[in-house]
Amino acid sequence: MVRDNRHTYRPRPAKVIKIIDEAPGIKTFRLRFEMQKDRKRFSFLPGQFGLFSLMGIGEATFSMCSPPRQKDIEISVRNVGDVTNAMFSMQKGDVIGVRGPYGKGFPVGDIKGKDIVIVAGGIGFPPLASAVEYIIQRRKNYGKVYVYYGVHAPEDIVYRYKKERWLKSGIKIFTTVEKKTGGWRGPVGLVTDGLKKLKLADVQNAAGLSCGPPIMLKFVSQELRTLGLEPDSIFLSLERLMQCGIGKCGHCNIGNKYVCRDGPVFSLSELRYMQEDVW
Amino acid sequence: MPQQPINNIGILMAHDSYYLLKKEDVQGFLDALSSKMSVYAPVKSEGQFNFSKLGKKQKIGLEGYINTEFPPKGLLMPEGETLVKYEGSTICEVFSSEKRAIFGIRPCDVHAILVLDRVMLGHGDIEEHYEARRKNTLILAMNCTEAGENCFCGSLGTDTLTEGFDLLFTDEGSHYHVEVGSAEGGRLIKASARLFSATSRKAKRPKLVFKKHIQTEGLEDAMKRAAKSSIWEKTAERCLSCGSCTAACPTCYCFSLPHHVDITKMDRGKITREADYCMLLRFSRVAGNNVFREHRADRLKQFFYHKLVYGKENEGKMHCVGCGRCITECMAHIDITEEAAKVMRKYGKR
Ligand SMILES: Cc1cc2nc3c(=O)[nH]c(=O)nc-3n(C[C@H](O)[C@H](O)[C@H](O)COP(=O)(O)OP(=O)(O)OC[C@H]3O[C@@H](n4cnc5c(N)ncnc54)[C@H](O)[C@@H]3O)c2cc1C
Ligand code: FES
Repeated sequence: MVRDNRHTYRPRPAKVIKIIDEAPGIKTFRLRFEMQKDRKRFSFLPGQFGLFSLMGIGEATFSMCSPPRQKDIEISVRNVGDVTNAMFSMQKGDVIGVRGPYGKGFPVGDIKGKDIVIVAGGIGFPPLASAVEYIIQRRKNYGKVYVYYGVHAPEDIVYRYKKERWLKSGIKIFTTVEKKTGGWRGPVGLVTDGLKKLKLADVQNAAGLSCGPPIMLKFVSQELRTLGLEPDSIFLSLERLMQCGIGKCGHCNIGNKYVCRDGPVFSLSELRYMQEDVW
Repeated sequence: MPQQPINNIGILMAHDSYYLLKKEDVQGFLDALSSKMSVYAPVKSEGQFNFSKLGKKQKIGLEGYINTEFPPKGLLMPEGETLVKYEGSTICEVFSSEKRAIFGIRPCDVHAILVLDRVMLGHGDIEEHYEARRKNTLILAMNCTEAGENCFCGSLGTDTLTEGFDLLFTDEGSHYHVEVGSAEGGRLIKASARLFSATSRKAKRPKLVFKKHIQTEGLEDAMKRAAKSSIWEKTAERCLSCGSCTAACPTCYCFSLPHHVDITKMDRGKITREADYCMLLRFSRVAGNNVFREHRADRLKQFFYHKLVYGKENEGKMHCVGCGRCITECMAHIDITEEAAKVMRKYGKR
């Protein structure tokens, strides 16, 4: 990971080259750095994040959802506030500021050879989608891959266009909705319901990756423990308010840890030693 | 945790050279200094001393000076400083190049700056705006002759200095004893050589008498045992969550980076740095109106734990330097030394 430590807060310009309407209130933006050297510098691992700014409005944190080492980066954004709302009126060709990548991502190297259980809740999917893409690029290096994805209602489902390609790569996908609408014929309930039915051949050789709302992460980690996964094989990406992204502004701390610097991905065993409530 | 020297800013070795400066010559020394750089010194206004830039030949008056009302952190991270400016598609980062000296800074506050150095310049990432100011700042520290009402640096060892200063002044009555702490400090003496006379002896520091104390031995462990204690709930009943303690603390560095647009020319604007306080609800608010430290007790705890536990774990140096400003400023009379004493009584090993 090459980080340019000069110019702490200056965003690098990137052009919006594609916008995908994923679901009501969620869009994916494909961005291309205007400068070649920024493109090279922005090499990341799944689970790392960037800070994206619209000058005059503000900056917001997003995990990249695209695979690393792609020419362009992609982020999926839920419209929840000032910056995200302004991003929603961006058009193709508009410019957005980007800095990063920051933080520690999922330990994709350490979990090689294992079966991977991925649990995504709502807008927690992006960093995990990046992990799935990463795994697909090196499919032989990983065992079975299960993706459990929970959303509020069927219309909230994102990345529909990826599904076929993922299935072809042997990724098993289980989508659960909390509220059935339209012609939904899949399971209705919580994302953890599906997880309860999972049988892993060898729990010692499996890892869990998850991102979603705090309450979901709490139950997912319990469920993964019940399945038999060890706390140091369960990795969760946490959300906190961020300003600097580099461990200086203090906004993202949990006890003596900084989500931007020590995370956002933590193993469950690390979280157990946090000196403040995590969920 | 052994701390690596962060860079040559943080760790200045004490040189063995001592001088004497007559009190009536301090003005001359500062005037000479002012012609080369900005000089900040404690200036009394409305009954309180605060660091302020000295004007040309401005008279310095330290009568009754114990410490400044607000800590010197504002000189290294000024409130509202512009970090990034933009106009159209041109975006540039702005760095301070002001060369300055801070005169009269107390040992506890020098220790606080050493803490800030470890945060802002350490952990493998340099906050360059802090660095730009820090490396252009000379520390002309001054030992205390009298402890303030709420001072408890005596319990923390932060009442003395062995590093972190360019010059260290000690009031010895008719004159100051001056210790040189860096090559740059030595050059300042040389530049005003006729005012200083060399001596081979160390400073005569008066013994300070403290009204407040904090027991540090076993405190970290006791604090850890007190994580779920009702002490915090109880104290939080009085807390106003106003953030005064964090604003007054010389090592509280938390900040936000708001964007501002120039409404007369919408494609022009800036990103500034503004102090932010973990005591405030908004500090940890994320989408969905989810606030991670929703209860006042959680926020109060964050302050105490950061000062007494986390700082030492992360930076190898306790973030409380015993200046007592949080006690002075608290409208609810919450006193960190009393809270620590409660923790020790209930959770300390007997
Ligand atoms: C590591 C990490 C990765 C992330 N990845 C993604 C991602 O991939 N996709 C994604 O969509 N999001 C992601 N997020 C979340 C995202 O950063 C936030 O949703 C985003 O910053 C919101 O910015 P905003 O300016 O639009 O919202 P803001 O205007 O800051 O407001 C956000 C919310 O905060 C609340 N709020 C703010 N101020 C107040 C106030 N004064 N009073 C009451 N309520 C207030 C409101 O509920 C509002 O909805 C991630 C966060 C982290 C930490
Ligand atoms: S975002 Fe600033 S410290 Fe983590």
